[in-house]
Amino acid sequence: MSKSAIDGPTKGGFSFDLCRRNEMLVKKGLKGPSFLKTGTTIVGLVFQDGVILGADTRATEGPIVADKNCEKIHYIAPNIYCCGAGTAADTEAVTDMVSSQLTLHRYHTGRESRVVTALTLLKSHLFSYQGYVSAALVLGGVDVTGPHLHTIYPHGSTDTLPFATMGSGSLAAMAVFESKYCEGLTRDEGVQLVAEAISSGIFNDLGSGSNVDICVLTKGHKEYLRNHLQPNPRTYISQKGSFSKKTEVLLTKITPLNKLVEVIEGGDAMEE
Amino acid sequence: MGDSQYSFSLTTFSPSGKLVQIEHALTAVGSGQTSLGIKAANGVVVATEKKLPSILVDETSMQKIQILTPNIGVVYSGMGPDFRVLVRKSRKQAEQYHRLYKEPIPVTQLVRETATVMQEFTQSGGVRPFGVSLLVAGFDDKGPQLYQVDPSGSYFSWKASAMGKNVSNAKTFLEKRYTEDMELDDAVHTAILTLKEGFEGQISGKNIEIGIIGNDRKFRVLTPAEVDDYLQEVE
Repeated sequence: MSKSAIDGPTKGGFSFDLCRRNEMLVKKGLKGPSFLKTGTTIVGLVFQDGVILGADTRATEGPIVADKNCEKIHYIAPNIYCCGAGTAADTEAVTDMVSSQLTLHRYHTGRESRVVTALTLLKSHLFSYQGYVSAALVLGGVDVTGPHLHTIYPHGSTDTLPFATMGSGSLAAMAVFESKYCEGLTRDEGVQLVAEAISSGIFNDLGSGSNVDICVLTKGHKEYLRNHLQPNPRTYISQKGSFSKKTEVLLTKITPLNKLVEVIEGGDAMEE
Repeated sequence: MGDSQYSFSLTTFSPSGKLVQIEHALTAVGSGQTSLGIKAANGVVVATEKKLPSILVDETSMQKIQILTPNIGVVYSGMGPDFRVLVRKSRKQAEQYHRLYKEPIPVTQLVRETATVMQEFTQSGGVRPFGVSLLVAGFDDKGPQLYQVDPSGSYFSWKASAMGKNVSNAKTFLEKRYTEDMELDDAVHTAILTLKEGFEGQISGKNIEIGIIGNDRKFRVLTPAEVDDYLQEVE
């Protein structure tokens, strides 16, 4: 029989059934599966009109750079965005799921989503998985109650802060914030400070690199500045050879191929 | 034929091959307030009467036309509470589809899934069929579409359709007035005129609801002020 259409509280969370077996396997020498991590620098700060989020764009798999330009600033709601550090699959999946739940919530209530709602949905999910969902998030947005910025740790604890950094490059970025942050920054000052913090992470931390992504959230408006700064441009060799663009073309000669080659009419067809 | 002897149980066929409970559900729909939908060349319009039980009821608090996804809306005739449950379920299914396939759900898919839910309630123990018929209006890659879903779970695509109290008059009126190349604005006017036909009392922006979706693929319910503007154009 189909269940009632009314949704109850979600059941689930981490299942401890296989923990004992896993411990035994590790003792016997089995290496656990490795994941794609976003050894990362992610930051957020509150400025006078709203919130600015920033992130680098490097995704690593151990010592290898797996993605040179990945997107770490995820959409949660039209007025709420979230930067994710940790296992890339986890941050993607968890932000997607909460975004979906908030869309339904918006339809049912007819109201704009609030940052605390996203915060609570994310932290309850992470807590119920006891830290195994390895997602460290910087959540920011502007709703009817004003601009908000929170950090969420993989085990489910949260902080509410005027400026925050997460990821392997967080110390480098925090150093920049601690010395230069002040209340009431303008948009341009805020964007510059965030770019500086992320750049500090990009250049001083091996797990962060490539470009700077920025997202500016104000009341009723959002600006997603993808690749706002590209301090590590990539140069490619042109397929046509390595002549520079200033090379002069002296002669263009086209030789029709049938003058050089014998064309046999009505020969045998090639074997299938 | 002794049909009445088989009308107690939903899951038992009567000798004439009908499921009598579903027939009764359709009767419940037929005694609900009139609603209708028209598919124009560049959009779809749905409209319904919004007769409240007393003048003391705050008419802004309840909305009969609901949005399911940004490009699909729905209206009903029949029992309001049953409609609420279906709307909630459909919205969830549309979101699940979007999460799985990362594309907005096509109108036909959403209609099919909603119809499946309604059919499940005609073949289970201990439940009763939904006492609503739905008109689902949407605009996707296949263009504007209008579907009607019945309590039995069957669904049909319509160019124009009506349900509820005044259904036969309304359908006759629509058959005369409908043209294939109608524009959305004309369709709204025709919808209003059709509602007016069977309307008791003074029609105004406060006692009818109109929902439209055009080429912009954004379903929205018109405000009472906009409805009044259309009403004045029709006069």
